[in-house]
Amino acid sequence: MIFLNINNLNVSIEGKKILDDFNISINEGEVHAIMGPNGCGKSTLANVLAGNEEYEVSSGKVIFKDQNLLDLNIEERSQKGLFLAFQYPVEIPGVNITPFLHASINSKLKNDKKPELDNLSFAKLLRKNAEELGISSDMLKRSINTGFSGGEKKRYEILQMSILNPDLTIFDETDSGLDVDALRIVTEGINKFKDSKKSFLIITHYQKLLDYIHPDYVHVMRNGKIVKSGDISLASEIEASGYQNF
Amino acid sequence: MTLENNFINHSKEYIFLDNETLSNQRDKTFNKIFKKNYDKKNNESLKHISISDLSNFDYFYKPKNEDSKVTIIDKYNYEIRVVNGICKNYEDDNIKIRNLTNLDFKSFLNQDNNNLDDIIIDFNKIFLNSGIFFNIKSNSKLNIRLIHNTSDNFTIFQNNFINFKKKCEVQLEEYFNLTHNSINNINYNTNIEEGALINHNIFQNFSNSNKLYLTSNTVCEKNSSYNQNTYNFSDGFVRNFHNANLNGEFANASLKGCFFLKDKNICTIKTNIIHNAEHCVSDQSYKGILNDHAKANFYSNTFVSDNAQKTEGYQLSKGILLSDNCSFFSKPELRIFADDVKCSHGSTIGPVDESALYYLRSRGINKNEAMKMIISSFIEEDLINLDNNIAEQIIYNLSIYLNSLEND
Ligand SMILES: Nc1ncnc2c1ncn2[C@@H]1O[C@H](COP(=O)(O)OP(=O)(O)OP(=O)(O)O)[C@@H](O)[C@H]1O
Ligand SMILES: [Mg+2]
Repeated sequence: MIFLNINNLNVSIEGKKILDDFNISINEGEVHAIMGPNGCGKSTLANVLAGNEEYEVSSGKVIFKDQNLLDLNIEERSQKGLFLAFQYPVEIPGVNITPFLHASINSKLKNDKKPELDNLSFAKLLRKNAEELGISSDMLKRSINTGFSGGEKKRYEILQMSILNPDLTIFDETDSGLDVDALRIVTEGINKFKDSKKSFLIITHYQKLLDYIHPDYVHVMRNGKIVKSGDISLASEIEASGYQNF
Repeated sequence: MTLENNFINHSKEYIFLDNETLSNQRDKTFNKIFKKNYDKKNNESLKHISISDLSNFDYFYKPKNEDSKVTIIDKYNYEIRVVNGICKNYEDDNIKIRNLTNLDFKSFLNQDNNNLDDIIIDFNKIFLNSGIFFNIKSNSKLNIRLIHNTSDNFTIFQNNFINFKKKCEVQLEEYFNLTHNSINNINYNTNIEEGALINHNIFQNFSNSNKLYLTSNTVCEKNSSYNQNTYNFSDGFVRNFHNANLNGEFANASLKGCFFLKDKNICTIKTNIIHNAEHCVSDQSYKGILNDHAKANFYSNTFVSDNAQKTEGYQLSKGILLSDNCSFFSKPELRIFADDVKCSHGSTIGPVDESALYYLRSRGINKNEAMKMIISSFIEEDLINLDNNIAEQIIYNLSIYLNSLEND
């Protein structure tokens, strides 16, 4: 099975080219990290994979689990096991977290032709996962991201990931804004998943997260394409002398 | 039928025919309309309403009052059924209700007139054929359901007087269950006496063959509170024009509402609050969801007179536009002549937030469901402060509306 293969992907927004013949391949169970200067197109990549309709894909191919990903709409991609933890999660006043996540997991289960979760089993699952992430039960009564602190928003993204149990998770700077405890919890979560068949694409500016996670590959991205791939030593190089050498 | 024919043929149904002053006033008002002697351009009462539509109608008014009823469910709960503009005359320790007669001309003459340019009120004065006097006595604590029914193609021109006496506390639920091709032009004069606390929920829910022009003028005395909510779930035309005068200190008035519109339906709204005393609070806010070719407009006005210090006045309009062809026009106005006041107005009208939609869909929720979640939350955020039974009716009608979207 081809898990994820991106081939010569070209993407622009409002006539401006952002991804330029972008290529990457991720296998089942692998952890990849992408580092790159501000504005090089990391979030664009993440959003194009998630199906955001604002971007214009002019050419290229994306295969995810043997299927042409670009043929699927936003919700179908999620149901197929792709999850994007957003760099800037949006606030949606009035839409309560709990019924939203319940609908969300059930749409996935339905798609997998598995039995849906009733209120009680969902509530139990939610409470257990929230507790592990240090999310209070009070927070579960609130509207999506509304009035959350920066770190709370990120934790809530991870909670959603843990409930939806995706095959491919894209973390878009999920480590920015997290306190040390939360960072530990996130990395533990990822490490717990790692030995299974789950895959990760981690977008970050900091070596620290990668030190905890030990990604299989680190890629450096500039001007819409990957300019160098290697192991974790690339992250130390960037930490030491920035992106000028790439 | 033309205005002139209706005027001539149906003068006998005019309530105050025996009163010379009012009959003369009526002739004058008729002439004003007939000779088109009014402001045609900037007339808020003519927004989305054509004068020819108003003038040409089949006048029909032959009420029998056998179906009207007052039911005392228990000591605190009343149900009053008004049929074709007529109520049952009734009195007990809590309430008194009766039909207007031509002996009531004085009240009619002395009513507050906030509506000098209002063509709808002119029509009400020309064709006035019914009216209700309703007193809620001092210190009563009541829940009242007031239900308006029509049968046949009635044209009802009604002028009502409600007096909430001192310190009464009333939950008034009013229903316009209109059928056939009825025209309902109803004007309320409401007086809220000192210390009275009134919640007034108005449900407007009928098919597109009916029309409702609802106007109210409410005077709030010292320490009183008047909360009005209009819920317009109709496929038929509704106009909501509501005024409140805060005449005694520490009074508050809120004129709020929400509406769900589709097809070519139109809803026209105006609220107006006049602060004449210190330490009063007012709120005017309307919220709507529109689809297809529906149109709404909302004029809100806060007037603060020079002696009304420590006033707080808020205005808000919010709308979700579900198609490119619908529109919601809002025009807030503030006129402030006191210096120590807190007033604000805000407006957010537009399509469903794309980034919110993207977020929900990225979690596997399909587009239709995601839309429904966002639209429901828009309405549901206001429900926490409402009685369950009211909230349930709103949720029920919202779900009907949302399901109708799916079938498009
Ligand atoms: N909606 C948009 N309209 C116009 N330009 C956009 C839009 N979204 C992104 N861009 C531009 O595309 C480029 C890439 O943006 P992107 O968000 O992908 O960068 P990034 O690598 O994630 O940066 P950062 O590290 O700051 O998060 C930037 O120059 C940005 O200004
Ligand atoms: Mg980014």
